[in-house]
Amino acid sequence: MSITFENVSHVYGVDTPFEFHALKNVQLNIKNHSFTAIIGQTGSGKSTLIQHINALLLPTQGSIKIDDYLISVTNKPEKLKQLRQKAGLVFQFPEYQLFEETIEKDIMFGPLNFGKTEQEAKEIARSMIKIVGLDESYLDKSPFDLSGGQKRRVAIAGILAMNPDILILDEPTAGLDPQGTKDMMNLFKSIHESGKTIIIVTHDMNHVLEYCDDVIVMNHGEVERHDTVTQIFQDSEYLNQLGIDLPMMTRFILDLNEQGYHIDPSINCIEDLIEAIGGEING
Amino acid sequence: MDNMTFGKYIPMNSIIHRLDPRLKIVTLFIFLISVFFDAGFIGYGILGIYVLMCALLSKIKLSHILKAIKPMLFMMLFLMFFNIFLLKTGDLLLVLGPVKIYSGAILQSAYIFIRLVLIITLTTIMTSSTKPLELTLAIESLLSPLKKVHFPVHELAMMISIALRFIPDLLDEAKRIMKAQASRGVDFNEGTFTEKIKSIISLIIPLFISAFQRAEDLANAMESRNYNPEARRTRYQILTWNLSDTVALAVTLLVCFVVIVMSFLI
Repeated sequence: MSITFENVSHVYGVDTPFEFHALKNVQLNIKNHSFTAIIGQTGSGKSTLIQHINALLLPTQGSIKIDDYLISVTNKPEKLKQLRQKAGLVFQFPEYQLFEETIEKDIMFGPLNFGKTEQEAKEIARSMIKIVGLDESYLDKSPFDLSGGQKRRVAIAGILAMNPDILILDEPTAGLDPQGTKDMMNLFKSIHESGKTIIIVTHDMNHVLEYCDDVIVMNHGEVERHDTVTQIFQDSEYLNQLGIDLPMMTRFILDLNEQGYHIDPSINCIEDLIEAIGGEING
Repeated sequence: MDNMTFGKYIPMNSIIHRLDPRLKIVTLFIFLISVFFDAGFIGYGILGIYVLMCALLSKIKLSHILKAIKPMLFMMLFLMFFNIFLLKTGDLLLVLGPVKIYSGAILQSAYIFIRLVLIITLTTIMTSSTKPLELTLAIESLLSPLKKVHFPVHELAMMISIALRFIPDLLDEAKRIMKAQASRGVDFNEGTFTEKIKSIISLIIPLFISAFQRAEDLANAMESRNYNPEARRTRYQILTWNLSDTVALAVTLLVCFVVIVMSFLI
């Protein structure tokens, strides 16, 4: 499912003293099966942008096309609910959306809302809890007895349970410990490999380099750049100007190259880097 | 949820915004009393002009005030409906089968409507021209004589200011949770009765949990700063009474006095 934004603008609080232009003339085409990062400073419109994809927010101007769904000012799709099933949105700190007595019931909540039977939903819950790295014994526990990181896994399982084609994540690793962060990112990677489109809002450029294909740079409500990861990180001056640091690995390669090495700056995994450095030293 | 205009502060620089919050509370109080004195349409005309002056001076848009009145319309119509059919004073005007409508009832209903519009308008002007913290400060200052009889004025003011402080936060939180649950297929607008109950539960429980969490965090933060309600403290904001406040009070007293006297003469 490819996502196309046509001239989308969004204004909060029209005709009030609090009027705020959160999105300005956004033109965008997110490819099917891509792993796209959205970066930009706080308040640049990232969260507003992603909430348009599952029609939680409707554009005040322009339109969004996702497969057969057209969302525009005048055309509020009647089958919104189906769109929300197809585009699963995980909010920042999703653990706050948990409310059921047991984890099983909470994961079943989404599938039941989208018309699955009790039995089907139970089976989905059983498989989802394993996918997010917890075992079946958790199903009967209360979600409120878990640690913060575990709660987040359960909340994400609740979205994955809807089996969305597009998974949208708003800073999913904020506040997690390093191991939890790594597990979480690897989880998204495997979901991507199973054929889904992933859109992730993040501030961690190391994640962008390691996991993503494309990058969207937001600045003051506008999409400034939409390019491949390699292209974006080549332009370190531009990123600097936005207050965004290069990923550690890219920075390291650029520093080495300044000292006379000739390593490809688009390398994104540590093994390749070691090999490249070894090649230069030995060769 | 986006149209919560009632009670929202609108930052602006007007004479009304700059008035002492104590004056605004006292004025509103006096006004509320005098609005219930029946001085005929001339009396309400005077009060209406007074409210209109306040509105113009505060530079608040008329549309904002209308938005605040709108949610109350149902209650107004409800009250008017019962008044028209149940009051039996004045001349008999109309007979519709068993229903008899009297002139006094129509008059009373009109009064009720006018009173409510005036009250809501002035209250909206006050809340949108005064920061919530200024209001609490004013309440504390006005109640301070009660300290003599060991009434916990400071604690009360603190509670009010904390409550006011968290209203926008909780509203934001509620909006966020609603969106998160909508992403999981909850429809807050439609559905059968049981579905509606279920969707409200999915909002209320996370909201309560987060509210309790906030309360606990705040209590811890206050305690770790050794908060003591009885401690003597200085103020960042000090309320000052200016000439304009005296003038405003004089005008209000004059208007209300005239209306009350008129009501006894009629």
